[in-house]
Amino acid sequence: MTTNAYKMKQVETTKSVFTIFTGLCKGCGLCIEKCPTKTLHWSEALGVYGTPSVEPKENDNCTACGMCALVCPDCAIVIERKK
Amino acid sequence: MAVVPNMPKSWRVETKPHKFCPGCGHGLVLKALGEAIDELEIQERVVFGCDIGCSLLSWDFFNCDSVQTHHGRTTPVVTGVKRARPDRICIAYMGDGGGYAIGAQHLVNSAARNERITAILVNNCNYGMTGGQMAPTTLPGMKTQTSPYGRDTETMGYPTQGPEMVAAIAREGAYVARGTVANVRRLKRYIKSALQNQIDGKGFSFVEALSGCPTNWSTNAQKTWEFIEKEMPQYFKVGEIKTPGKKEE
Repeated sequence: MTTNAYKMKQVETTKSVFTIFTGLCKGCGLCIEKCPTKTLHWSEALGVYGTPSVEPKENDNCTACGMCALVCPDCAIVIERKK
Repeated sequence: MAVVPNMPKSWRVETKPHKFCPGCGHGLVLKALGEAIDELEIQERVVFGCDIGCSLLSWDFFNCDSVQTHHGRTTPVVTGVKRARPDRICIAYMGDGGGYAIGAQHLVNSAARNERITAILVNNCNYGMTGGQMAPTTLPGMKTQTSPYGRDTETMGYPTQGPEMVAAIAREGAYVARGTVANVRRLKRYIKSALQNQIDGKGFSFVEALSGCPTNWSTNAQKTWEFIEKEMPQYFKVGEIKTPGKKEE
């Protein structure tokens, strides 16, 4: 299995492109608590254990700080800043 | 270009998602370790030894030579590897049970002999794999499966302060620090310094990482962070305890 095989979901916010790899997310919620702007919330998309994964509110104040990606124990989040 | 997960290069991708519970601190410690290995470019030379307990789930975690040892015996096995092949970078990865309970004598004696290895110990205040029993690091008053009324310091003693113990025994050249998963960047810096200390051949390096166990603490994400950030550092002080070439305070 290559890295590209993980299921994923992308959400665009005003400043960033948020990618959650639902094939890696275990739904622990550590990122939701660490988000400084409280824009992350539980998603409809299910993670690898059938628990909800996370996503930011659309067109919300995600500042692309990358805190969620830093504290994710499974490296399931990738944040790209919009230019 | 397709977006790919931002995993450290030294991680073995086929084994991901890894086997640890949701929210487990081991993932964060191993992420910090993987990034430190990447930055030092030592992946080809690393020998990774893991202990029994939750830490054994890291046996297929890295794309490095890995060995899974008996409970508490990671330090001597890795010491043997280092003595036979001094050019290798040897890492002993263990939990608080393997390091402070059954393997305490090995940790202490390796530190006393100033072996050129790096020991990384993950402290989550209980025995995670067997169901959350009381460990040497359980905080006073903390409830676990085998201390249902909270840890009573009269009968069960006080938690082991490992880095302080190792720093008291270790000779000049040793590196001893305590990090926390609440500050992954700082933890990575400590692990990197510990590995660099081994590469320079100065002496024993030891890093303890404060970590969370949401499954056995029965906490949600908010309470897990609260416990790691507020309760644990009150007893376990985070910081560098002994660095080579620096006078002790």
